[in-house]
Amino acid sequence: MFVYLVRRLFQLIPTFIGATMLMFLISQLVPGDFFKAKELEPNVRPETIQRMRAEFGLDKPVYVQYVTWMKNLAVGNLGQSFVSNQPVWDRIAKPMRNSMYLAMLSIVMLWAVAIPAGVYSAVRQYSVGDQVVSTLSYVGLAIPNFFFAQVLILGLFLLRTLTKDWFGYNQLIFPVAGMTSSASLTMSPWGQFWDIMWHMLIPSFVVATSGMAGFTRVLRAQMVEYLGSDFIRTARAKGVSKTKVTYKHALRPAIIPFVAGIGGLLPNLVGGAGLVEVVMSWPGITPTFLTALSSQDIYVVLGLLVVTTILLMLGNVLSDILLAAVDPRIRYS
Amino acid sequence: MKKLFIGLSLLAIATFAFAEPFVWPAAWSNAAPGEAVYGGTLKIAFVGDPRTFNPVTSAESQALSDFLFNTGAQLLMRGPDSDDWLPYAAESYTVNDEGTQIDIVLRDGMTWSDGSPITTQDYYIRYVLETDPDVGSNGYDGWFMDDDPITLEKVGDNGLRFHFPRPDRLAFPVAAMVPVPDAIFGEAYRTGGAEAVKALWGTNVDVTKTVWSTAFIPTVFQPGERIILERNPHFGDWNVDEAGNRLPFLDGYNMTVVADLDTSLNLYIAGETDTFNPRNLDDIGVINQAVNNGDIDVIVLEAVSPVASSQFIVWNWNKASDPDKQALFRNVNFRRAMAHVMDRDAIIDLVYNGSGVPMYTNVYPINTFWINDDVEKYPYDPEAASELMASIGYDKKNSDGILVNAEGKTASFILATNAGNTAREQIAGIFADSAREIGVDVQVQPIDFNLLVDQLLSEGDDRPFDAILIGLTGGSRDWPFGVNVIPCGTNLHMYNTSGGCLTAQETLMGQLFNVGREELDTEAARKVGLEIQATEADLMPILYAVSPMAHYSWASDIKGFHHDDEINALVGAWELPMIFKAD
Repeated sequence: MFVYLVRRLFQLIPTFIGATMLMFLISQLVPGDFFKAKELEPNVRPETIQRMRAEFGLDKPVYVQYVTWMKNLAVGNLGQSFVSNQPVWDRIAKPMRNSMYLAMLSIVMLWAVAIPAGVYSAVRQYSVGDQVVSTLSYVGLAIPNFFFAQVLILGLFLLRTLTKDWFGYNQLIFPVAGMTSSASLTMSPWGQFWDIMWHMLIPSFVVATSGMAGFTRVLRAQMVEYLGSDFIRTARAKGVSKTKVTYKHALRPAIIPFVAGIGGLLPNLVGGAGLVEVVMSWPGITPTFLTALSSQDIYVVLGLLVVTTILLMLGNVLSDILLAAVDPRIRYS
Repeated sequence: MKKLFIGLSLLAIATFAFAEPFVWPAAWSNAAPGEAVYGGTLKIAFVGDPRTFNPVTSAESQALSDFLFNTGAQLLMRGPDSDDWLPYAAESYTVNDEGTQIDIVLRDGMTWSDGSPITTQDYYIRYVLETDPDVGSNGYDGWFMDDDPITLEKVGDNGLRFHFPRPDRLAFPVAAMVPVPDAIFGEAYRTGGAEAVKALWGTNVDVTKTVWSTAFIPTVFQPGERIILERNPHFGDWNVDEAGNRLPFLDGYNMTVVADLDTSLNLYIAGETDTFNPRNLDDIGVINQAVNNGDIDVIVLEAVSPVASSQFIVWNWNKASDPDKQALFRNVNFRRAMAHVMDRDAIIDLVYNGSGVPMYTNVYPINTFWINDDVEKYPYDPEAASELMASIGYDKKNSDGILVNAEGKTASFILATNAGNTAREQIAGIFADSAREIGVDVQVQPIDFNLLVDQLLSEGDDRPFDAILIGLTGGSRDWPFGVNVIPCGTNLHMYNTSGGCLTAQETLMGQLFNVGREELDTEAARKVGLEIQATEADLMPILYAVSPMAHYSWASDIKGFHHDDEINALVGAWELPMIFKAD
């Protein structure tokens, strides 16, 4: 196993270099650069723009820029942001942390709902409950996250109208944007924790629902297959209780693909919750990434891609290890 | 001309020479004198994190600029009620007879937020930093008149002298500079050079360690979440209202960082923020609905003025690879015909829901003082357009209904604009439909913004586009003609970048630009400006479309904003130190 791991880790090096070359090449194919918009300012002289390009090395050939960037990368320097003139890591560290908060809660929500729902659907196949779960799953799969978030925001405003009419309560039940309340700084640490949790519920719920639908459907299919297997019939014949059959004998093998997929969660944790973060103004990776893309703050974009790539590669290794741990048929020795 | 400046200077000296603090005129606020109360926090939202807290390297045009970078102890300032420059951090100023020198006497008693005095060195060091190209300041170009440098020197203990190579109407914006603390920026520069200055006050700075001359100073910065600004305890040392009250009145600002203006609107109608500038009538509808529901209590000012930007179509005069198109685009009657198919009313109705004004010259419609209302306007008139096209040989239509000339060349071109800008895409579509009605085939092509700018600013005899719909922002109230736009050979002389002038009107406009810029008498300069616009309207190289209107909204408990007739997109809705929150 150890030899396998070492070999896998060494294999990551050429993969990583190839990935960075591809990223850099694609980034250079985009027309223009960070200073392009400046050229439309009536009072900025062309020589000033040339000077700025030279200062950031944008006047050099692409391969020189790539080699310089890789040299910096080798010593852990992701480069410098054009926009803020600061190290890229300083720009992306906090958004990564914030996205991680959101992703973690959504994963908890996802597993907490999807596993029981998938098991329920499989055990009570074609029942009314199964149909309801299936219908909700398809609806969840069909609605884009950003749209669902907007619908929920609209729902919150409508709810405010109702609570005002019925109870005279003219406040929103949940916040519609941001990560903290304006009064958060005056709160105790415990209060600040709950404040963040309170802001996180709606966006996490939206993110969780998208994964929930697919998860439930696949788990249901896995469970149905295992519940019809010979070893389950044998267990039942031996008088094993229904709960034990379902949760120990059937669920355990059925869940293996998801356990193997835990490694893939790693990049998702920092990859951001997509446009939900934009719609709900959550200060995560996606708004940072989109802002960097639109302003062609190229080293921030590349920095985020590099971190995600590394995590993706490590996640795959982790998946393999977990797979070996949970599936007795797999051994790397 | 110089008499005006000398007169202004004497007036300034007479008014302010013996008054230690600057007295903010009661006329700048609609609140009754003595009505203002202290306290309260204003909650606002702005899009995106600040990129830096460093005022020397900042290139931001919004967010913190209005609060920290462009305000504070600026030497000169303008009130909402006049275009005149008043001495502010300057106790007085004088302009020499040649109009090439501005002498400033610094006001006594001004202090930074840490209590240390603001001195001439704090202004001088900013000049030093901004004129060092290695620092990369956004203000670098402002210190040049064409290629000739503008310089600043310290005179005595409290004097500053600006030297201009020639008289310059844009001198006052230069002389209205804001200081930076020499103890921090000067010290960094002297010990670590330009790199040390660039490294100062990034977004990882502890904002409580930063020093400002502004009414409010940052005390908390949470990236992606909020910035909190609190009252500068020393601002009132030298800023008072007419009743002698120390300014500002508010305790501070709570600025929530949001991802976009949709979220900003959500926060506003949720009652989480106190101000929002509606982008269009849809936003106003949403706000009015929340008001009618009793959810929020706010004021909405609809269509207060046009915004300070332009939208226009420019044709490429340098298309050597397609001589027929080049000849067409260089033909003034073609361009006039195209002007006659620009249906501005339809654009205002369909794109801006009726909230916009037509634009006929390169001066933004909001800049009414400088506008030449008498220029040839070429109103929407398809018949006149058809006649003009016929006059240049396009008098028949082919089987597709496209005009053709005797050589069989069709009247057609590609109109590019930046993809994703829905307003521009709609304007281009309306223009193309109108052109099609008279037989001119216009194919709208939305393309990437950077590609568009590359094409627009390409140089030489064969540039890779037909026509482009785009816009410009920026410009000055003192001389609203772009230094890079009007003269031939400049990089934003967009219709002709062959290097020299191709028509007498271009040459004339370039000459008028220089004459007007160096004319310090405002009325005389205005006349030159009117002539520039008339000449351009005659040449019609650029077809201006419409300017949308600006809207404002804020919570009803905010008081002390400008009088209604003074609020517009140039001066804004209020003076920061004078607003207050009613109990």
